Amino acid sequence: MKFTQIKLALCAGLAAASLMTQPTLAAEYPHKTVKLITHSSPGGGTDVFLRELVKHLSPIMGVTFAVENVRGGAGAKAVAHLANSPADGSIFYGTTPSYINTSLLSKPEKTYEDLDPVVNLFQDPQIVFVRADSPYKTLKDVIEDAKKRPNQVRVGVSTPGSLDRQVMEQLKAETSAEMTIITHDGGGDVMLSVLNGTANVGIGEIAELRGQIDAGKIRLITSYTNQRLKQFPDVPTAKEQGINLVVRKFRGIAGPKGLPKNVVAAWESGIQKVLEAPDFKAWYEKDALVPDYMSQEEYKKFTAEFAEGQKAFFQKYGITTD
Amino acid sequence: MEGLSYAWHAVSSMPVLAAACGGVLWGILGGALPGVSPSIAMALLLPFTYSLPPLVAVVLLASVYVGAEYGGSIPAILIRTPGTNSAAATTIDGYAMHLQGRGGEALGLSLVGGTIGGLFGLILLTTLTESLANLALLFTPPAYFAMGILGISVIASLSEGALLKGLIAGVLGMMIATVGTDPISGVSRFTFGDPNLLEGIHFILIMLGIFALSELMVQAGESRWREGAVSEAGKATLKLPSLKTLWRLRRAQGIGCALGAVEGAIPGAGGSVAAFLSYNEARRWSKEPEKFGHGSEEGVIAPETANNVVSATALVPTLSFGIPGSNSTAILLGGFLIHGLQPGPLLFTSNPEIVYGLFGGLFTANLLMFLLGMVILGPCIWLVKRPKPYLMAAIFGLVVSGVYSIDHSLFDLWIVLAAGIVGYVMRVLGFPHLPLILGLVLGYMIESNYRRALLMTNGDHIVFLQDNVSLGLLTCAALVIGVSAVREIRRWRKPLVIALPQAQ
Repeated sequence: MKFTQIKLALCAGLAAASLMTQPTLAAEYPHKTVKLITHSSPGGGTDVFLRELVKHLSPIMGVTFAVENVRGGAGAKAVAHLANSPADGSIFYGTTPSYINTSLLSKPEKTYEDLDPVVNLFQDPQIVFVRADSPYKTLKDVIEDAKKRPNQVRVGVSTPGSLDRQVMEQLKAETSAEMTIITHDGGGDVMLSVLNGTANVGIGEIAELRGQIDAGKIRLITSYTNQRLKQFPDVPTAKEQGINLVVRKFRGIAGPKGLPKNVVAAWESGIQKVLEAPDFKAWYEKDALVPDYMSQEEYKKFTAEFAEGQKAFFQKYGITTD
Repeated sequence: MEGLSYAWHAVSSMPVLAAACGGVLWGILGGALPGVSPSIAMALLLPFTYSLPPLVAVVLLASVYVGAEYGGSIPAILIRTPGTNSAAATTIDGYAMHLQGRGGEALGLSLVGGTIGGLFGLILLTTLTESLANLALLFTPPAYFAMGILGISVIASLSEGALLKGLIAGVLGMMIATVGTDPISGVSRFTFGDPNLLEGIHFILIMLGIFALSELMVQAGESRWREGAVSEAGKATLKLPSLKTLWRLRRAQGIGCALGAVEGAIPGAGGSVAAFLSYNEARRWSKEPEKFGHGSEEGVIAPETANNVVSATALVPTLSFGIPGSNSTAILLGGFLIHGLQPGPLLFTSNPEIVYGLFGGLFTANLLMFLLGMVILGPCIWLVKRPKPYLMAAIFGLVVSGVYSIDHSLFDLWIVLAAGIVGYVMRVLGFPHLPLILGLVLGYMIESNYRRALLMTNGDHIVFLQDNVSLGLLTCAALVIGVSAVREIRRWRKPLVIALPQAQ
């Protein structure tokens, strides 16, 4: 009896010890320093995101990360840099839809197909918003009004190749509501356009809109997500209103082709853990990023589907010809 | 009053003072290096600010911006190489003054003008942020279009006597501006499938080629340089303008202040547009417009005042909307966000110590810029007094390495070299450079907003007359073109009138 107790205690102790040494086990990652490349300039969206991520990921994976900005060629340079790097787990790329778009829009030597998706972390929710004094309460109101007054409702979207323009064009096509879609140079300009009445409705992301939301100058009316956002429980999704559109603006990690299995596994487990880390959670929930973990297998499939969708969109709207 | 105490508290703390000082110094050096724009100088520092306290970090970044906007004028005046986009307008008269041995005077004007502009902008920023933010909301697409047209209308008065050549150069500039992704539909234009062209051609590459390289080619063509002679501008020493001179130039400074304030407050325009517009307006309202292009003091102080006003008022959209109006303020915004500060209307009440501390820091930065500027100019002037062959080789090396350092792109270097050849050919054939640069800087703004405005009304041009701001600006543009046309016709007739009595 006593002996078994000791044995039990010993087992528990061993288990605890092995738990404690978890970080050291993770440190068996083949490299001590790992480079994360972004095409965004310092202070840009992806740059800020990656720097915040590595703060929390570094202790979990037992690796020191260095974020490096490889700008130029609308992301083509960063992709080429990655494609020509060794696939040993020492270098990765912070993905956003633009790395696929650039590959499709021009013909760079190396495209997204020369990289291997590793894991996905987030979806950036796209939110439809209006000025605080607008009569619109939901996306339905906007569509009804557009049907009553064809070509009078103006929708502000960011750049022409962006996902937010795409979803608004899809909305227009699916509901056959005649709205005017006005493209801008960036999300900030869309917000100004909505504030000064150039556009009646705008679409954007929480991080950009927060200042004006908090000040009560703009109102959110619909989110293009699967579920309502935790931070804005009163804002309905498009799906709830019978509009089956969801924007999947992803943020993930990709690497050179042919990464070893143990490296991918280390990332898969590391990312799953970091998404649960309380400090990191507080950071990403503030900007209403929706965690959407995908393993390599899922992410590969998703990327391929996403690229097909983009190709179709670019062709339909004459952005590319082939 | 409370704000004042926050500001005082900030400037009396050592780290903030050190940040303002270091930031300005780094900014002046970065701005003075061709290719390193204010935004790149800020971006290089950004990673170091992650671990600093929030106030110190934002003061550091904003001070770099202040310093860089001034620093760009040093090479513009001394070696015809705009260090930053917004110093391109200064190149014209600043370098002309330098060739006349008045380079030190031009540097003094630029330094004093920049300091006055920076302080004026700061006063506006502190007292009128809310009204200036509303100004940003007044500018709808038709208004931006009209502003671009007013800017480009100056080609008519700039190229008097060679109107056709001026127009050709202007169109060439606007053509270069169309390269890249179409702003409205997203179609790739004139990129020939090359991803390097997808984002368009950076202004600074064209400016460096047109101004700096073409000047090197012209100088290399002169026979004298072989003799190892010291450049003509050997006499230059820094000379600050007297109060009397400043009073004489008050109109040019006023124009710089006013335009800088407006351009800074509306997103998307930025320092280069402000500098060019104020150069144009200073010329238009000057008592001696004929001096412009041949070493006019007004032609130096107006754009230099304007771009430093912008370095302060550009913070208006950044702080009150959380929208960066330019690349530089985008980096500053990144600096705010990294420290968990959310710019927007509430920042003034939620983090007054940051906002007013930043204002205090900027005030110090502007004063420090004046002092550091004086110290730094001595060595700069010494450098350009070196024998010409060494100087020219060094300028070429500086331009090439500066451009390469932006994105490590050989492609960019080819663009600069091509622009240099275009600039040289234009000079040989007597085409003015300024219209090309104006077309380049304003082309994108004019095109994208013209099409955006027409989208608003489904293609009805009445929108340009319905918008008050647009109507006012377009009327001004029409007047300018009308007056220039009348002058051109008179000039064309005059010789005939004089010639007739001679013939009799």
